[in-house]
Amino acid sequence: MIALFRQNRSVPVMLAVLVIFAAFVTLLSEGAGTGALSTSLVKTLGMTTCLAIVALAMDMVWGYAGILSLGHMAFFALGGYMIGMWLMVARTEGVIAASLAQAPLPPTPQELTDAVAVQIFGVVGGNSFPWMWAFSHSLIAQLLLVVLVPGLLALVFGWLAFRSRVTGVYLSILTQAMTLALSLYLFQNDTGLRGNNGLSGLQNIPGAESVPQSLMSVWFLWASVAALALAYVFAAWVMAGKFGNVTRGIRDDEARVRFLGYPVEGYKLFVFTGTAIMAGIAGALYYPQAGIINPDEMAPIASIYLAVWVAIGGRGRLYGAVIGAVVVSLLSTWFTGGRAPDINLGFYTIQWVDWWTVLLGLGFVLVTLFAPKGLGGLIDLLARRTPQ
Amino acid sequence: MIRPILATLVAVFLCATAAAAQTAPAAEPAAESGLQSILQEHHDLVERASRQTVQTVLDALIDSEDEAVPAFLERWQARELYMRNADGLFVYVQNDRADPLVLLDIETGAELGTAGSRDLTALRPNRGVQTVIGAALVQFQLLADDPATRATALQAIERAPEPGQLHMIGRMLDEETDPALRDQAEWLLTRMTIAFAEDEAQRVAAIESLAGDVRVQARAALNPLLLTDRRVAEALPRDANIARVLEPGSAALPRADAYAMLVAAGLAPQEVTAQMRRDALIANITNGTVAGIQVHQLGTEAARARAYAALAAAGAVPPAPTEAEQTAALAAHVFYDEYREPSTAVTAAAAETVAAINTHVGLLEAIDLSLDGISLASIYFLAAIGLAITFGVMGVINMAHGEFIMMGAYTGYVVQLFIPDYTVSILVALPLAFAVTFGAGVAMERLVIRWLYSRPLETLLATFGISIALQQIVRQVFGAQARPFTAPDWLSGSLVFNDVVAISYIRIAIFGLGVLFFVLLWLILNKTRLGLEVRAVTQNPSMASSMGINPDRINMLTFGLGSGIAGIAGVAIGLFAQVTPELGTHYIVQSFMTVVVGGVGNIFGTLAGATLIGFLQKGIEWLNPSNTLAAQTYMILFVILFIQFRPRGIVALKGRAAGA
Repeated sequence: MIALFRQNRSVPVMLAVLVIFAAFVTLLSEGAGTGALSTSLVKTLGMTTCLAIVALAMDMVWGYAGILSLGHMAFFALGGYMIGMWLMVARTEGVIAASLAQAPLPPTPQELTDAVAVQIFGVVGGNSFPWMWAFSHSLIAQLLLVVLVPGLLALVFGWLAFRSRVTGVYLSILTQAMTLALSLYLFQNDTGLRGNNGLSGLQNIPGAESVPQSLMSVWFLWASVAALALAYVFAAWVMAGKFGNVTRGIRDDEARVRFLGYPVEGYKLFVFTGTAIMAGIAGALYYPQAGIINPDEMAPIASIYLAVWVAIGGRGRLYGAVIGAVVVSLLSTWFTGGRAPDINLGFYTIQWVDWWTVLLGLGFVLVTLFAPKGLGGLIDLLARRTPQ
Repeated sequence: MIRPILATLVAVFLCATAAAAQTAPAAEPAAESGLQSILQEHHDLVERASRQTVQTVLDALIDSEDEAVPAFLERWQARELYMRNADGLFVYVQNDRADPLVLLDIETGAELGTAGSRDLTALRPNRGVQTVIGAALVQFQLLADDPATRATALQAIERAPEPGQLHMIGRMLDEETDPALRDQAEWLLTRMTIAFAEDEAQRVAAIESLAGDVRVQARAALNPLLLTDRRVAEALPRDANIARVLEPGSAALPRADAYAMLVAAGLAPQEVTAQMRRDALIANITNGTVAGIQVHQLGTEAARARAYAALAAAGAVPPAPTEAEQTAALAAHVFYDEYREPSTAVTAAAAETVAAINTHVGLLEAIDLSLDGISLASIYFLAAIGLAITFGVMGVINMAHGEFIMMGAYTGYVVQLFIPDYTVSILVALPLAFAVTFGAGVAMERLVIRWLYSRPLETLLATFGISIALQQIVRQVFGAQARPFTAPDWLSGSLVFNDVVAISYIRIAIFGLGVLFFVLLWLILNKTRLGLEVRAVTQNPSMASSMGINPDRINMLTFGLGSGIAGIAGVAIGLFAQVTPELGTHYIVQSFMTVVVGGVGNIFGTLAGATLIGFLQKGIEWLNPSNTLAAQTYMILFVILFIQFRPRGIVALKGRAAGA
């Protein structure tokens, strides 16, 4: 560990920043501090932390392995769906059990299940649990699925794609197609995940109804920060060793690494699957804070935004991904939240709620053209270090 | 003694003169002829006509084949028939407002003298009788000289066919010369023969004559013959026309439905569902217990079953039939569908003919589906061909391609604001859209793309930025709601081949446009200097440069060409899709897939890719017509798998060009 800290100075810095950040937010929060930060802002910060985790995953797969995946937000949303299923079932079960307790006869297990199913699926015209909800009553099982579903999907998809040597632009388009297929699939009402209604009410954690949202948001912030810290250390550790060297070699010249005898496909598959799992876990932390998830969240555009965060932050630098995700998503929240001052040009008033997207789009262009190393490149410049 | 006799004589005389005075001024009615005598025969039925009984009179009249009958029926129906009270003679009157009324003979029209309104009774057939008379009149109208009358009569029969009208149409057909009416009548004859003919062979022949008739009406005429009623009995009846015997518990007849039929037929006791049992238990709660079992223990099905059985034993509720009893009851009965049509030969012929028609319709549907597939393929082709040039030839991922399509559609909308004539505006919009997006493409290439040729993956990010900026700007300028961009009249409507196969003109036009651009691009790339240079730069920019080609200029023109075609595709797509700022996003992923599936760097590849994807999507939609989302999902899955087996697409470049 110490060796890792020495080798990659950003790890201790990042850990320190995260601890200070979490402590700072806690002290200013409504739930556990002075109340200077509103609960919704604390939630936004917690969610942003989760986005930084998935950006970290994206940086590993794109910045280090050279695979421009446009599917990682789909893995992220899948993780959210998996935890959302348990949250929704457990909470609805509690509500239904309470209301059925007033009935003249105590409900049978079957009656309880049916009532829960009608409550959850009535909105899409269903009255029984689809097969994919088989484990939804068990938190342990759904937590396993948070890892397994994105992981297995990435494994199968990656195996198929890497095996037939789909690379570069083709792979990007293929992952984008996968994301689109998945979101279209979930948009259908009859596929078992409530179609475009998505899953909602996820902010109510079953078994913790007495905890106010202001405190819950702080807990989730700590959980997200801890996850980001773990992910950061893990990413730094993986990329520091021989594995990281081979991975970067694949990014720079795949054919040469292959000729040197390394199983390129295995390395790529490992990175792709591992980062998909990271994304899934990040999603599982994100959506209880967001409160609602629907198929729109995994539309291909979300994954493109993810790539853009990483590009703006600076690829091939783990802190770059974190910075990119945090800066762009917080800026986006600020601008679209209507708090940015409008600019009056006399003949026309620029309202940032509308024009933010234009600014963002042009920002991508400028960063791509003039700052290919991103914001992380600035830090390198200040630290007078060349990136690894 | 003499006086009473005299008085009687006088009285008789007076009566006779009175009678003579009444009839004196007119001639006697024409000899008691056919029509009047038939009416007199059924005097009471005519005078007090009712819907149930008047048919007898009508039949007699029609059977007489008297020439005066049609006119008589019309006047009777129009309430113009009168009866002379004195002798019950049926007459018309010349003018019903005159006084005294002038009577006319119902056969010859000759004047029969006059009478006061009190001496006559107007016969006013009620609405029901009028309808019956009208139906009888139809057969005369069918033979009328005026084709319009005949057409009206045919329509009247078509609306409410009756068995008795069958022979009337046959008689009409013997004389009908108008080809359109003849067709109509023949079709009606077939239909009514199927429905009403008494001779089974005739019906079967009529049914079989419909084989290969794909019109919807043909199936509508046959399907009623195949209607069935589901029945249950202890044994199959011998004389019933049975469509099929059903096994309880099969897909066609679930076990629960079968048992419900038994219950409805009174052949088995009502089963007790979980809901009914629950209600029964709730109704029998006494002091917190049901039949001695504590209420709080009734949280399982087993406990509820015990409690219910206890209640049943106490006689408080009807006993629930056990599973075994239900099975036995089901086994003891036979379930079958019985045709409403009693004749076996007819139903067999109908089933066979319907099957034949359905085969035929299936073939036509395949043709229709192919037409749909072709038109969808041409849309994808148009949307993707520009991308095939920029992405396929230059290796640039232009995420803003969809926005160029959108800009083309908006160009069409703006042109229509200035040129109200739809035809002219489209002819103007096509080149203008090309110019606008060509310019946008060239500007983008000069300002952004050319700095990124060494970093192709990053063009994705930069062009994505341009894409969302363009979308938002268009939203600011034109608003988020859909804008109207209307096709001219000659493009609306469909080319209809028959009831199954049809294609809208707009899709034909898009197909034409697709073909045009395919040929045009092929010519440009293969037969012009520019095309030669484009291919040279694609294969090896530095070598091309050393041969005196300016790669910068070529790249710029190529990119402009690809973008310009996107604009033209936008005009075509805007004609049938909603013109919104998001228009492009619906096509961008499909376009990329089209190019990737088809094979990069080759317009034949794009053609193949568009064809494959278009047909595939339509084919999947056909398998699951209610769900286009599912069709797209499966189509993308197919594409992902397809890439596994042909990573370079359908038309793969070989040799050195492949590595470029």
